[in-house]
Amino acid sequence: MTKLDARLHLLDRQLLDDEDAPVGIVDDLELEGIEEDTDIDPSAAAPQVTAILSGHVLGTRIFGGTPPRSRLQEIPWELVASVGVTVKLRPTDMSFDVQWTEHWLRDHIIAHIPGGRHASE
Amino acid sequence: MKKIFAVALGILTAIGGFLDIGDLVMNAVVGSRFGLALAWVVVVGIIGICLFAEMAGRVAVVSGRATFEIIRERLGPRTAGANLIASFFINLMTLTAEIGGVALALQLATDVGRFMWVPVAAFAVWVVIWRVRFQIMENVTGLLGLCLIVFAVAVFLLHPNWGELAHQATAPVIPDKESAATYWYFAIALFGAAMTPYEVFFFSSGAVEERWTDKDLGTARLNVMVGFPLGGILSIAIASSAALILLPSQIDVTSLSQIVMPVLAAGGKLALAFAIIGIVAATFGAALETTLSAGYILAQFLGWTWGKFRRPAQAARFHVVMFVAIVLGVAVLFTGVDPIMVTEYSVVFSAIALPLTYLPILIVANDSQYMGEKTNGRLINVLGSVYLVVILAASLAAIPLMIVTGAGQ
Repeated sequence: MTKLDARLHLLDRQLLDDEDAPVGIVDDLELEGIEEDTDIDPSAAAPQVTAILSGHVLGTRIFGGTPPRSRLQEIPWELVASVGVTVKLRPTDMSFDVQWTEHWLRDHIIAHIPGGRHASE
Repeated sequence: MKKIFAVALGILTAIGGFLDIGDLVMNAVVGSRFGLALAWVVVVGIIGICLFAEMAGRVAVVSGRATFEIIRERLGPRTAGANLIASFFINLMTLTAEIGGVALALQLATDVGRFMWVPVAAFAVWVVIWRVRFQIMENVTGLLGLCLIVFAVAVFLLHPNWGELAHQATAPVIPDKESAATYWYFAIALFGAAMTPYEVFFFSSGAVEERWTDKDLGTARLNVMVGFPLGGILSIAIASSAALILLPSQIDVTSLSQIVMPVLAAGGKLALAFAIIGIVAATFGAALETTLSAGYILAQFLGWTWGKFRRPAQAARFHVVMFVAIVLGVAVLFTGVDPIMVTEYSVVFSAIALPLTYLPILIVANDSQYMGEKTNGRLINVLGSVYLVVILAASLAAIPLMIVTGAGQ
């Protein structure tokens, strides 16, 4: 079993869907098995990563603080297919809110410009 | 046969695509003021860009990750964010200078003012990015850029005293009129022009765009190792032609017309026509590359979909960013600012920002989890570390020298 360092191997990695299209960035992790502000008993079981959080959190990542949870989307750890130089997800029906701007710009601007829906020639 | 053709095409486009407005202007300026006393900087710059472009290309091929994804991952959002802001700003400056360069070259050819050409050039850049396939875009601008060989031809036609030129290059002396501070200021500017960071952003993202695999790595390496140094020879040819014609008459380079003056003197109107086509192709090609780089670095930092291999509708934010970048560049040019001046500042700021790009590449190229057996060898690491010191020194010295010399006055 290879060891993963959350900071080195998970945080700030690119998230890809099952078709290798970028979904977002791993901005934070949801852990289970630890309480906030309490010391961890050395003999306690290791905390588990239960979900990847991604969202519009750049501001707080840079300047500190925690964003309200509504700004973060939770992607359950079960959906993670592999962790390599990117974090790959399994096929899913889940819609990713992080891509709201992408879809809005696509539907309201890009798709209306001639050629916007076609591949380059 | 097909393979030889592909390699030849790659090398030719690498030569023709190597020069941009920064190289054109800085080499002419330096040649007209210092002769070939700074030619060694071009050599140092070329070796540097070969070294790091190869590294960035290798990282992109092995990991499928382009440079700015790696910068974010390695430096974290805060440092990488600061890096992004600086890189984006400098890239925008370069983009502005390139569009201005296209307009100046077209003005030279047609006598129609540059303000008429700026929107035309900008629109053309946008259309090509919107509709034309990556490879066609690269090949056409690269091949037409080969017209710049006319600068080398001009040097031959001018029948220089080769011994004297070689002496200037190999035993550099600072001319009496210039101070040591201006000499080193222009050394840094020339270094920044040769190693402009956007080249690495573009090169590594291009590897992803063109879906290079291990098999393409050899070809890519050859393009870099042969194409860039030959492109560098063109840089030195521009400086030589300026040293032969502009330096003796003490003509300052303040516009494109002085840059092409030696070509006109040596080869007449036909040569001038080649020079103009070459300059349009080189600056237009670089305008495409810097516009794409604006989209690449922001999209890679934020984890968006990006790339010309996707339809615009599949990379909406990427295309919106590039459109906005072009509009900003045009807006800056319409303030009436001189594109040549923007160029001179953009290369110095590029030099200041060099460590931000090159350090993360060196780190990741050494990470075996990313690179497997393709991590840097010892020789590359020694060279890479030496260059990092040079890059840091240039970066730190740039601002003080800019203040002391009044930006090279």
